[in-house]
Formats: sequence, C-alpha cells, structure tokens
Amino acid sequence: MRRLPVYLLLDTSGSMFGEPIEAVKNGVQVLVSTLRSDPYALETAYLSVITFNSSAQQVTPLIELSAFQQPNFEASGCTALGEALALLANKVDTEVVKTTVDVKGDWKPLVFIMTDGEPTDDLNKGIAEFKKRKFGMVVACAAGQGANTDTLKKITECVVQLDTADSATIKAFFKWVSASVSTGSQKVEDAGVEVTGLSELPPPPPEVNIVV
Amino acid sequence: MDGSIVEFIDEVRGSGAMKDVYFSPDGSYVVGFFRKPQDANSKDRLQNITGVYREHIFNRVGGEYWKNLFCWPEKLVEWNGKLGIVCPTYQKYFFFSSGPFKGKEKEGKWFASAHLRNKFLPADQKGNWLTHFHMCIQIARAVKRLHAAGLAHSDLSYKNVLVDPVTGRAAVIDCDGLVVPGKYPPDVVGTPDFIAPEVLQTKNLPLTDPNRKLPSIQTDRHALAVLIYMYLLYRHPLRGGKVNDLDPAKDEELTMGSKALFIEHPTDKSNRPKVNQLRPSELPQGDVSKLPYTICGPYLKELFDRAFIDGLHDPSKRPVAYEWETALVKTTDLMQPCQNPGCEAHWFVFDNTTKPRCPFCGKEYRGQLPVLNLYYSLRKGVFKPENYRLMVYDKQSLYMWHVNRFIEPNERTKPEDKKPVGDFHFHNGKWILINRKLSSLYDKDEDKKIEIGQYVELTEGKKILLSTEDGGRLIIVQLVNN
Repeated sequence: MRRLPVYLLLDTSGSMFGEPIEAVKNGVQVLVSTLRSDPYALETAYLSVITFNSSAQQVTPLIELSAFQQPNFEASGCTALGEALALLANKVDTEVVKTTVDVKGDWKPLVFIMTDGEPTDDLNKGIAEFKKRKFGMVVACAAGQGANTDTLKKITECVVQLDTADSATIKAFFKWVSASVSTGSQKVEDAGVEVTGLSELPPPPPEVNIVV
Repeated sequence: MDGSIVEFIDEVRGSGAMKDVYFSPDGSYVVGFFRKPQDANSKDRLQNITGVYREHIFNRVGGEYWKNLFCWPEKLVEWNGKLGIVCPTYQKYFFFSSGPFKGKEKEGKWFASAHLRNKFLPADQKGNWLTHFHMCIQIARAVKRLHAAGLAHSDLSYKNVLVDPVTGRAAVIDCDGLVVPGKYPPDVVGTPDFIAPEVLQTKNLPLTDPNRKLPSIQTDRHALAVLIYMYLLYRHPLRGGKVNDLDPAKDEELTMGSKALFIEHPTDKSNRPKVNQLRPSELPQGDVSKLPYTICGPYLKELFDRAFIDGLHDPSKRPVAYEWETALVKTTDLMQPCQNPGCEAHWFVFDNTTKPRCPFCGKEYRGQLPVLNLYYSLRKGVFKPENYRLMVYDKQSLYMWHVNRFIEPNERTKPEDKKPVGDFHFHNGKWILINRKLSSLYDKDEDKKIEIGQYVELTEGKKILLSTEDGGRLIIVQLVNN
C-alpha cells in the first residue's frame, strides 16, 4: 500500500506568540481528529510536523494518523524558513519510500507551509535543496499581512494568504488543509492521479485568499 | 418541478463533489443542489431519473422491494436558479450507532480494507462473513435491476454503496449520474479503484473518438466484481506487488489500466502481493496464499476467473449481475458455522474435502457433516445432478427454493415461499430433517411418505424426494465424518 506523506511546515517565530500559535496548535489537533474519521485518509495518509523559528526541527517524524501525538511548541525567535526547507528535503530522503522495480514506494508528499513573516536566513539555499526532491502539491500560506507572498512564490506556485492571523482564520485554513488531505488521499487511492495544483483541491474558505 | 413545494432548512449539512446537501424539517428526506448550472441534457436526464425511470422500477408490482436497495432521487426542484434533487434519508442502520465513528455514514470503504477492519473498526460493527455475502447479494440484485432497465450506474464504488455488515444490508446511492446508453453520456469516468481498465486506458482520447471507452453496463460489471471481491476478501483484486513504472502516478494508471493483472492469476504470478511489503494490519487478508479467493467456493471462483482473468481486458466476457446474485445465493447454501466460538468470520464455505476446516481461524470441523446433493427431474423418475449442494448445520432451515427448481430466492419470491418448509437438527447423535410444510416428501429408499410433523434421518446415500410436483428436487445425502 502506497502511503501519502503529508508534511506541515509551521512558523513558530516570536511574531506568532499568543493567539496565532494557539490557533495553529488547535488547528493541528482539529486536522488530525477530522482525518481520523475519514477512511481514505486513515488508509493512506501519514503526517509529519516541522516547526521553524531561529532554527528548524522536526517535532513529529512521519507517522500514521492513528499514532500521531500532538506536538508541543512555543513561539519565539526568528524565521528560519530556508533551514526548514532543507530539513524537509532531508526528511523526505529518509522517510519517504522510493519506488524501485521491486517495491511500490510512497506517493509524492503533500506539503503545507504556514508563515507570518519574512525568512531571516538564507532562503535560496533551502529552496535549492527543496527543488531537488519531487513533491505532489505544495501550498504556502501567508498568515496575515506580515508575510511576503512574492517570497513564497519562489517556493511554490500555490500560495494562499490569510488576511489576518487570528484564531478563526487559522482554524479555517486548517479545515481546508484537512479537506485537501482527504481529497488527496482519495485521489491517490482511486485515480492514481496525484493532486498537484490548487484547482484540484476543494475550494478554500473565504478567509483564505489564493494569490495569483 | 412537478408543481409541489419542498421544504428544507437553509443550512448546508454536507457537500459532495457536485452538490450541497440540505436537510428537510422532519429529517425524512434531503435536498441536494448542484453547485454548477446543469445543461439541458443533464436536466432531461434528471427529469427522467426522477420521473419515468423511477416509476418503472418502484411503481410496479414488487416495486416496494427496491426502495430498500436504492436511495433514488424522488423529485427535481429549483431554488435560486439552482437545480436540486430530493432523496430519501438513508436508513438508520447505515450510520455507525456507537464507537469512534458514531453518527458517520457506513461508507463501504470501511469494510473493504483489511487495514481499516483490523485496526479501527469496532468488533460489533464488523458483522460476520455470512452477512457480507448478504450485502453482496443485495448489491448484485440492485445492479441487476438497473441493468434490466437499460441503465448503467456508471460510478459504482464503495463510496456510492452504503453497507451494514451488522444486518447484512446494502443500498446503492448517488443514482443521479445514471447513464442511458446512447442517450445520456456519463458525467465522470468513475471512482478509479473501480474504473474498468478499458476506460482508464482510453481516458485521454477525445470524447468523440470511437476508441474512447466510457462508463457503461459493461464497466459496471467490472466495478461490481471488484466490489464483491473486496467485500469478501478485504483487498483489491488488481493491487499486487508488480511495479509497472517508477513514477507512482503512472504506475497506478498502468496497474489499473492497460497492464491490469489479477493478483491471483493462476499462471502469471508477477502481480502477487509481496507479503513482506505489507503493513502488519493488512494481514492475514493481504496474503493470497493464506486466504486465496477459492475460499469463496466453486461458484464464485468461476465468476472471479471470468471477471479478472478472461474478462478483465475483454468486457464481453464479464459475468452479469444476475450471475453474481445466483452464485452468491448458492454459495450461502455451502456455508457452515465455524465451531470456534472466537472466530471472527463465524462462517466458512465448505471446501469439498473430507477434512473441512475454517480458512480464517484454522479450526477443523469435528463431527459428522451432512452434504445434500440436489438433483432435478428431467422427466418423471429421471434425475440429473445440477451442481447444487446444500450444507446442513444444526437448526438450519429448508426453503422452497431448495425443494423446487422453478422457485428462486430473489425479489420475486412470494411471501409464502419465504417461510421455511422444514428444518435440520442434530438430535441424539443423528442428523434429521423435520417436515414442516411439505405435502409430498418421500424417503425414496423405503418409498415411504414423510408426513408433516414427522422426520427422516440423514444417512449416507439416503435418497429423499422433496416434492412430487413439477420441478421437485431429489436429495442424495453424503456424510463427511471427521
């Protein structure tokens, strides 16, 4: 059975302190509990969380939904998005099973990135590593007005923006992520057509703006 | 749009791929509005589905029977410029009544995957193997009815079939995409665990290309075979270990399309599942050497061969829904309760050996096992075997469709024929058949009539005539001793 790896890259820099970080934690929790009652996601989806502030760390290694435990993280420091992308590339190498002539590997991973500010490290170095790997859909979300959507466009074509980084908006974003993972796990299960672009996903809620 | 007024609560309660669903005030029906405007052809199709096709199936003699096997759109409505359909609410037993998924629909996927069954489903929601046969019989019967009306469902999948293994019931839903060959083309290519190989293989050709294959009655037959295989064996018949391309998406398309190969193909073993690559939760069902499809008995084996070997790439060879229905019903007559009280399957199909054992838990059957071979009368006094057997277990019932070959167990069975006419018991170390209703039951060895209320003992080689009427069958008893 091919697995569908899903990586969440979450900004835990100081600017996320307070309501935003709590909303993100809550969002992850709701995401997991929603997917746990979806038979398609339970069959195929595996989830990992990478957080980034002054450095990047994988707080939850790629694991099946039923065994996922809510990670704890606090907001502080700056925004090492470049390092987070390099870490993602590294984890994909070790955690995602590659298809060989003898083994059916995993589906290409889905990636959801959420950040509220400009990267403070060398983003291009991270992007270079990131681009060497194959991904399914990559969605970058600019939470609030502090994040630069042009910067995120360098990572992926699928960029969405939240007008504000309050709890209701962040909650809506995670709800959409969970619907996207559901759709993604049905598509790979069924059609063998992997989700690669925003047009394939369920329509985002009004709080999430697609940046074109 | 028939002039009547339909009330609903203005709050979206669910969203599918094409529709937003609203509930009625009393909860007895739902209204689904298409998000996108429907063209004249779709509108005409929906009008026929809620009109003439519905009347043909449900408003005829015996129409009531089908109401439990389908969730069929009843009315076409228009609201704020959007077209919508009114459907009855699903029956209560199609929702989880307890456990972690309480209140959620029993989408078929839950019950068709070894991983989900072994890891997540509460034991009291799993039913037993016999109830899965009953579910499959209902699905085959519903599909048979659609096809008899010249309609193709076009998107049969575990998403569009609700099942309840607890009671052994099933219903086909999402009937608004029905395809009428030559009249309404399909909306979708289908749900690809169930898309027929020829459809997947030609999906990139233009719709007008004569080589393009679209969902049809023949592709429904493929989907039906996959559904039955998955509900009985909890794995996909084409998802094996063979890698057809290093790119996962391409590999998938080939595996389900042009290179589709039955995982249990008798000679080409290249797509056998690789057990060492399966998750522990996918076992033992994922191991075809432990639980081969032949555990489903001889009638189904033949049909699976035709569906996944001969007919996989040759649609005209696929078994029709009626054949599945008949084979499933006949197979339930071969079933034995497992003597292991802890066995999850509870039932198994007699494997025609002298040492029958349950393939699921390995428990060997202990004791005497009567097998009744059924013969039909060609002309008076001449009986022919008909490849039909009935396994006997304690407190089992005998029905008219065993007694007379002109009576079939299906939607047309008369209520009086659904009542048992006799029953089998293991009594004081002997197997007996007690006559409850049969007016001409004979022990042919002694040429003695068995009156109602009397019994006849089942011994090796015993010949029992069930009825002297036209179509009446003769039984010859075989006793398996273990």
